[in-house]
Amino acid sequence: MDRIVELEIPARPEFVGIARMAVGALAGIRPGLAFERIDDLRIVVSEACTSAIEGLDAGSVLRLRCFDGPKSLEVRIEAPGSSFESAFPIHEPEPDADNFRISLIRALVDDADLRSSDERTELCLVMHREAASDEDGEGGLPA
Amino acid sequence: MSVKGTHVDLGLDVKERNGWTVLSVQGEVDVYTAPQFREQLIQLVDQGQRSILVDLEGVEFLDSTGLGVLVGGLKRVRSSDGDLALVCTQRRILKVLEITGLTKVFTIYDSVDAAISGDGQG
Repeated sequence: MDRIVELEIPARPEFVGIARMAVGALAGIRPGLAFERIDDLRIVVSEACTSAIEGLDAGSVLRLRCFDGPKSLEVRIEAPGSSFESAFPIHEPEPDADNFRISLIRALVDDADLRSSDERTELCLVMHREAASDEDGEGGLPA
Repeated sequence: MSVKGTHVDLGLDVKERNGWTVLSVQGEVDVYTAPQFREQLIQLVDQGQRSILVDLEGVEFLDSTGLGVLVGGLKRVRSSDGDLALVCTQRRILKVLEITGLTKVFTIYDSVDAAISGDGQG
């Protein structure tokens, strides 16, 4: 069963580190994501939040929702408006070679998808967990 | 010469070593801290430094914003007939450089001493 963790941060540069720290900590609670892959996820979350912030007013808010399940961790980063989408051409088949951000996102997560409406844009990032040795997929935290 | 950064997440230290200007970076380089890093590199080039070595061994996090600073610094110093090389052995940072193709753009050394002696080029 997925556990849902939500976080809202002001769309300002000083809060990007908090977003990646929170997602990185959450990713390590259950087994199945190696430290290197958690590092990858932290980079992608940083890229996504930075991209969103660049297209938003300083007073805006970014919403992160993490769906933490035994088989995968999905991070949805939601920004108001559509500027997120124009800054994030993730569906373009051949990204500009100079676009480091897109290159990193494509290389470091298992799936990435962009959903948009008139009011908001949501980037979904998915990391699949390797099969855990315990049956319920829970981590080793005490009850 | 030593310059200490003011952000809690980023440390910058500049030293002269055998003709190299070594800029050691510690901490996290992201959209928040990159402006300070960029400013330091620009300042070094404007001061006339032409052989700049950016030591990334103390970097705990680097994303595309930091890569942009490095590429900008390289372009700036090369326009003045200089060069900018990196020191990096950390797998997590090298991975980011490899994905973005920057291992082919920068000369990467295993240590500051290796750069000074011209050995250990990655």
